[in-house]
Amino acid sequence: MNRCRILMTTLVAFFLVVTISFPALGAKTIKIGVIGPMQFVQGKGHWNGATLAAEEVNARGGVKVGNKKMKIELVKADSNEFLNVTDATNAMEMLLSRDKVDFVVGGFRSEAVFAMQDIAMDYKKIFIGAGASHSKLCLRVAEDYDRYKYWFRATPFNEKFLGRTSFIHLATVGAILKKSLNIPKVKVAIVAEKAMWVEPMIAAAKGFIPKVGMEVAGVWQPSQAATDVTAELSAIQRTEAPLIFTIFSASVGISFARQAGELKIPAVQVGINVEAQKDGFLEATQGMGNYVMTLNTFARGVEVNELSKPFMDKYIKRFGETPTYTAETYSAIVYNLVPVIEQAGTLDADKLIPIMETREFKTPSGRVKMVSTPEGKPIHELKWGPGYQTSLGVQWQDGKLVGVWPNKWKAAPKAPEITYKGIVPYKIPPWMIEKYKK
Amino acid sequence: MVLDIIIAGLINGSTYALLAIGFSLIFGVARIVNIAHTAFYMVASYCIYLITQKLGYHPTVGMLVAVPLVTLLGLICYKLFIDPIREHEAAVLIGTIALAIAIQEIMLLIFTGDYLSVPALIQGYFTLFGVKVFHQQLLTFVAALIILGALRMLLMNTKLGLAIRSTAEDREVANLMGMNESRVAMITMGVSVGLAAFTGAVVVPLTIVNPFMWMHPLIMMMAVVVLGGLGSIKGSFMGAYILGFAEALVVFLIPMGSFLKGSVALSIMILVLLIRPEGLFGIAFEEER
Amino acid sequence: MDIVGFYLRKFWMIVKNEVLVLPSRIIVFLFCLLLLLLPVFTQDPYLLRILILTSIFAILAASWDLLSGFTGQMNFGHALFFGVGAYTAALLNLHAHLPPWGSIPLGALGAVLAGLIIGIPCLRLRGTYLALTTLAFPIILMGIVFALPGITGGELGITGLERLARSRVTNYYITVVLMLVLCTIMWKITDSNTGIIFHAIREDELAVRSSGINTTRYKLLAFCLSGFFAGIAGGLYAHFMRIAGPSTLEVSMSFQIVIWAVFGGIVTIYGPIGAVFILYPLLEFFRFWPEYRTLMFAIVILLILLYMPEGLLPWIRAKIETECPRCKIRNIATRKTCRICAAEIE
Repeated sequence: MNRCRILMTTLVAFFLVVTISFPALGAKTIKIGVIGPMQFVQGKGHWNGATLAAEEVNARGGVKVGNKKMKIELVKADSNEFLNVTDATNAMEMLLSRDKVDFVVGGFRSEAVFAMQDIAMDYKKIFIGAGASHSKLCLRVAEDYDRYKYWFRATPFNEKFLGRTSFIHLATVGAILKKSLNIPKVKVAIVAEKAMWVEPMIAAAKGFIPKVGMEVAGVWQPSQAATDVTAELSAIQRTEAPLIFTIFSASVGISFARQAGELKIPAVQVGINVEAQKDGFLEATQGMGNYVMTLNTFARGVEVNELSKPFMDKYIKRFGETPTYTAETYSAIVYNLVPVIEQAGTLDADKLIPIMETREFKTPSGRVKMVSTPEGKPIHELKWGPGYQTSLGVQWQDGKLVGVWPNKWKAAPKAPEITYKGIVPYKIPPWMIEKYKK
Repeated sequence: MVLDIIIAGLINGSTYALLAIGFSLIFGVARIVNIAHTAFYMVASYCIYLITQKLGYHPTVGMLVAVPLVTLLGLICYKLFIDPIREHEAAVLIGTIALAIAIQEIMLLIFTGDYLSVPALIQGYFTLFGVKVFHQQLLTFVAALIILGALRMLLMNTKLGLAIRSTAEDREVANLMGMNESRVAMITMGVSVGLAAFTGAVVVPLTIVNPFMWMHPLIMMMAVVVLGGLGSIKGSFMGAYILGFAEALVVFLIPMGSFLKGSVALSIMILVLLIRPEGLFGIAFEEER
Repeated sequence: MDIVGFYLRKFWMIVKNEVLVLPSRIIVFLFCLLLLLLPVFTQDPYLLRILILTSIFAILAASWDLLSGFTGQMNFGHALFFGVGAYTAALLNLHAHLPPWGSIPLGALGAVLAGLIIGIPCLRLRGTYLALTTLAFPIILMGIVFALPGITGGELGITGLERLARSRVTNYYITVVLMLVLCTIMWKITDSNTGIIFHAIREDELAVRSSGINTTRYKLLAFCLSGFFAGIAGGLYAHFMRIAGPSTLEVSMSFQIVIWAVFGGIVTIYGPIGAVFILYPLLEFFRFWPEYRTLMFAIVILLILLYMPEGLLPWIRAKIETECPRCKIRNIATRKTCRICAAEIE
């Protein structure tokens, strides 16, 4: 009985203390809310990128709004979107109604970002997405401009372009294999996790692969969290396909790479493997992830333009790891929001939007231009293509993640060749060379 | 193809069998549905990760340290959280769920949500009838058989085993006969958690370590135990292999649908329960009046 | 004028003699009053959002108690009804263009159908077997959802649903009033003949059957009723969030519901409702320490289970009220004699 009373009193006291210690309102600052799954790498990327940006801007005195300077204040919000979509919406609502932020950046899981977008649009605050790739998020802008015009996408480009870029990687590696290993017709095994965003890509891949002179050996779809893919790997090996086109965003990317390496499957992996973008990939695959190639936004040593190296160096120095694409919140603040605010001289969203729609600017990952639908309706989507956003193809070589694409890439037969500074040639795994050069 | 299925089925089945036997044991003896069973399996995996990756020892050392450590943890949790509320079945269910969630959060705090992995006890693979099998997978299969044999020996040939079996059959009468029923329950809990830890040690090199890894094995394990019949170790063993084969069949026959293997396994379980509500070898509980 | 005065006096007499005599009834009365009058004092959208979600989950938790508490059919897959209600309402709204007041009841009927489908295999199962089997159903449905991404939107869910109402306050009133009405209905069900039979089935099914009552029918009825209310909660959720996704079918949602109900006290309808109103805002409160939130939640649950295994609300109720030994009427705990029969209470 006594125990219960003590328990009850401590709980009550605890709550009283908490209620009283609400955060106090600070001085006049520009409040930017950073929302993301903070317990995971993606959210950490959101927060780190934003922190770097805020520190940089505040160090030079702040943002010039009209004739006064205001500093940036960041508000962290853990959306917990991987586990609970309701939590994400609550976090967003809290940012907008309690913390009264002026802008929001972040978001990752598409299901949650749809709900979060609706809330931001209710409050008429600019929400810059930095993680969800679903095209419908931007198409909504065209469908209902007055409501959804506050949404912009900073990264990544939508899944159609993701597909297109990975197909280009596929074709490039296929051509390399064909030439170096003398394979007359390269067979491709498509392995994709079971997820919505993958379906159109599989269909498109099945159409694209024959067009570049290769053959589809089969399609396998393990579940996103699959840990044992030996069954799929045995089947793939039986088809004797030297190329595996991977579409993974979840932990199956690690299992697949590890088991393919352990079983010494004679095939290279190209495509999208989000886990392979992380620094910890080799350790997670027990070293078996070598030679895996994937799409990525940043890579150490690769300079897309003159802004890339300073950003990379600063980020690595501050946080000790390569930035993931969610760290584009940095660009969203430093190269997008801040110059636009300074140009417009106000924080009023309705005045900022027309500038944001038409302005073109450079970021460490390329040149940003907002596109419209063929009918001319703005959709606040990133433009893809040489000179704009192309992303990179990266490959694990000897324990390091290096950039291997674009390497003398021509977007069209008459287009100029593109190679970013710091790109190195693609390497074929030695066991493949051994097997095929017999 | 058939060989692929057989071998994959055997290996899947062994993993589930190892987990299910421990779960079934504690249920049969103490009527405790220990939802935190796979959470202890996760703690063992993290222990091994810590010892092999951070401290650099060989995985066998990791196993030898992790299993007793996790067993001790399990016993402490039992004494603190489960023993006092054993009488209320619903409360035990919730308590073990809360315990599992607490363990998950602690792991999340210490290790963050990143995906980690552990090196295999025995590296490499060999080829059996044209199918590539990891040495670790063979180890899992052998371990399942050894554990079953050891457990059978414990239950049939020792005094402790006799106490466990009689407590499982009728708690009150066993108490009347002079067996300290709560001590037997505690020992069984120790054995059960020890089995979970051992499973973690053996199976974890084949899987990815992250704080949410306990949910999926939990569901499959419960399906196996229900299919085989709660309280029957033989049933759990059989159920594990049946569901293991079912999963392998799905993966091989429907490559585009291998994400469905969980659903198919569960549907089989429901179908069996429709025909035989106690599971294959289960004991139908008479309602206590 | 006199008539109005008469009715006012009558109302006051009823309140004085029925409500004000027992602290638990006073609490319920104040609670309803507070909920209904809250928007007069504050219109903070964040607070209203939390309360709307709490009300929706309260309906859900109470519906679980109807099935698993009263009828004793331990249902570990309650998220199935929630998800089916949400998805059905979403599909009807999107494709058939039904407004929310049409799609939500029809969504609930869909959940009733689901209740029948899972009720039939579960008729012969008891105890833990039943619990573990019901756990399987939402998982199977999730597999089906992923297998048919064209219809169900896969892991993204169905987006672009209509709102319940234009303003946040209207949303609030709709949900809260609905919650009070539905929970009163559930409470009345448990007090009725059907409710007594449900309770009897929980206590001793064999005896009920030997009394000549068709337990199969009543068990199926319990599944359907529980499914109906949970389906309404699902529809409300889908229309409030404007998205119906596979997160409504997750195992963690089922577990969450069971935790709420057992925390608050099963075999009472008010228990789960009180629990949700305490725990859900609590979880939001803990947002200040995002890493420790769920951990603290789990520890609170464990502590409550250790000290109050019957549930929090029955424990509180036992502290503030006692039952008269002679006439079994409840009295406030400070009384020495029963208010009805004047017998002595220790």
